[in-house]
Amino acid sequence: MLDDVPFFADLVSYGPQILRGLRDTILLSVTITVTGLIGGVGVFGLALSQNKAVRFATQSYISLFIGTPLIVFLFLLYYGLPSLGVTLSPFTIAVFGFTLNVAAYNARYLTIAYKGLEQAELESARAQGFSRFQVFRLITAPQSLRMSVPALTNQAIQNVKDSSIVFLIQYIEFFAQMQEVASRTFLFFKTYAFTALVYLLLVSVVVLAARRLERRLAIPGIG
Amino acid sequence: MALLEVKDLVKTYGDRNVLDGVSFVLGEGDAKVIMGPSGCGKSTLLRCLNRLIEPTSGAIIFDGQDVTRPDVDVRALRSRIGFVFQNFALYRHLSVLENVTLALTRLKHMPKREAEERALHELDRMDMAGKRDSYPAALSGGQSQRVAIARALAMDPRVLFFDEPTSALDPIMVREVVTLINRLYLDNVTILCVTHDLGLAKFISDRVVFLDRGKVYAEDRIENLLARESDPVIDEFFCGDG
Repeated sequence: MLDDVPFFADLVSYGPQILRGLRDTILLSVTITVTGLIGGVGVFGLALSQNKAVRFATQSYISLFIGTPLIVFLFLLYYGLPSLGVTLSPFTIAVFGFTLNVAAYNARYLTIAYKGLEQAELESARAQGFSRFQVFRLITAPQSLRMSVPALTNQAIQNVKDSSIVFLIQYIEFFAQMQEVASRTFLFFKTYAFTALVYLLLVSVVVLAARRLERRLAIPGIG
Repeated sequence: MALLEVKDLVKTYGDRNVLDGVSFVLGEGDAKVIMGPSGCGKSTLLRCLNRLIEPTSGAIIFDGQDVTRPDVDVRALRSRIGFVFQNFALYRHLSVLENVTLALTRLKHMPKREAEERALHELDRMDMAGKRDSYPAALSGGQSQRVAIARALAMDPRVLFFDEPTSALDPIMVREVVTLINRLYLDNVTILCVTHDLGLAKFISDRVVFLDRGKVYAEDRIENLLARESDPVIDEFFCGDG
């Protein structure tokens, strides 16, 4: 236990650096959760298009991003774009790469929920005089979103955890900072155990918020 | 005066004519029932009339205007026709009151308070005002159908379409909904109703359009159709229907 004292003393000395990393992890996680949700709803809308070509393109996009590792796209953007004369900051690349990936997953969750909707409700809305876009905005999207809340919140949890890979494209977030602490203090076990604990706390906060949201947004009598 | 005149309406899927030259007239304040065996094109006909399904050919004169013309504002047409579906088709994520006000605020651009007053008036007419804050999942079939009717009436339609309004209900609820539609009929609401339910047809209609294989096989008063015992098509339908 006495060993812990220098470890925590080290933690305190690295405090500002760790907090900066934590702030950047939270910033990235929140950003990609929001952009991934907005993107997911947009892709979901396109997946329901009347136009076959649009539907095919959308399904191809979803399959591409679900079927390939995220890190490949992050590397493609980070190492590949400069060769085309485009240089973006690691944060921009992280947001862009994650958004493409998360939006594909979210669109898939929403599409699955859509299959559970009562088609008669959509026909009824059309019969009332609503346009296709209004039916999407007022009936399809709200119901699909509310029925997908558990899947979407699980994705938000995944976003927090997955954000740790962006140290590979030089975005210095919490995990990258903890790596540096570990390599300087040589207290690998304790540093990474502490890192795991912090991630667990972060995820627990998201889980608590998610469960509240699930209860609040559940469609009465449906779940 | 004719509110709706259907002339030689055809709907083709591939090489199959689901509707094969259907013609009939629905007068203002009339109530007409469309009956016929399963697959005879009843529901397709109803959906062609408000262009949820595009007819292949023929004319639909609604309120003096041929609504099959390509320049017709289909959404405006639909908002003048109340449509009550077999499975109620209430929006499950909205309360009873919101179900009724949604089209009023979004399509008629009515202020929220005015829309709520209008909705409550129609819900009250259907004895459903007390359930204004309930969600569809908490309603019985009969209650759901009453909300669906209130939702259609709130838009002040020229005609009410019913697509098998009693087929998803148990016998007690059927009686309740039949009574309700009968009340509308007595109030001179123009009604066009697709049904298999002989009881409903007797209570709510002046005349029955009997469809068979996409064609109008007969159009007559229900008691006259029932009297055609020697007619194999009609006899099979009514006897088979119990």
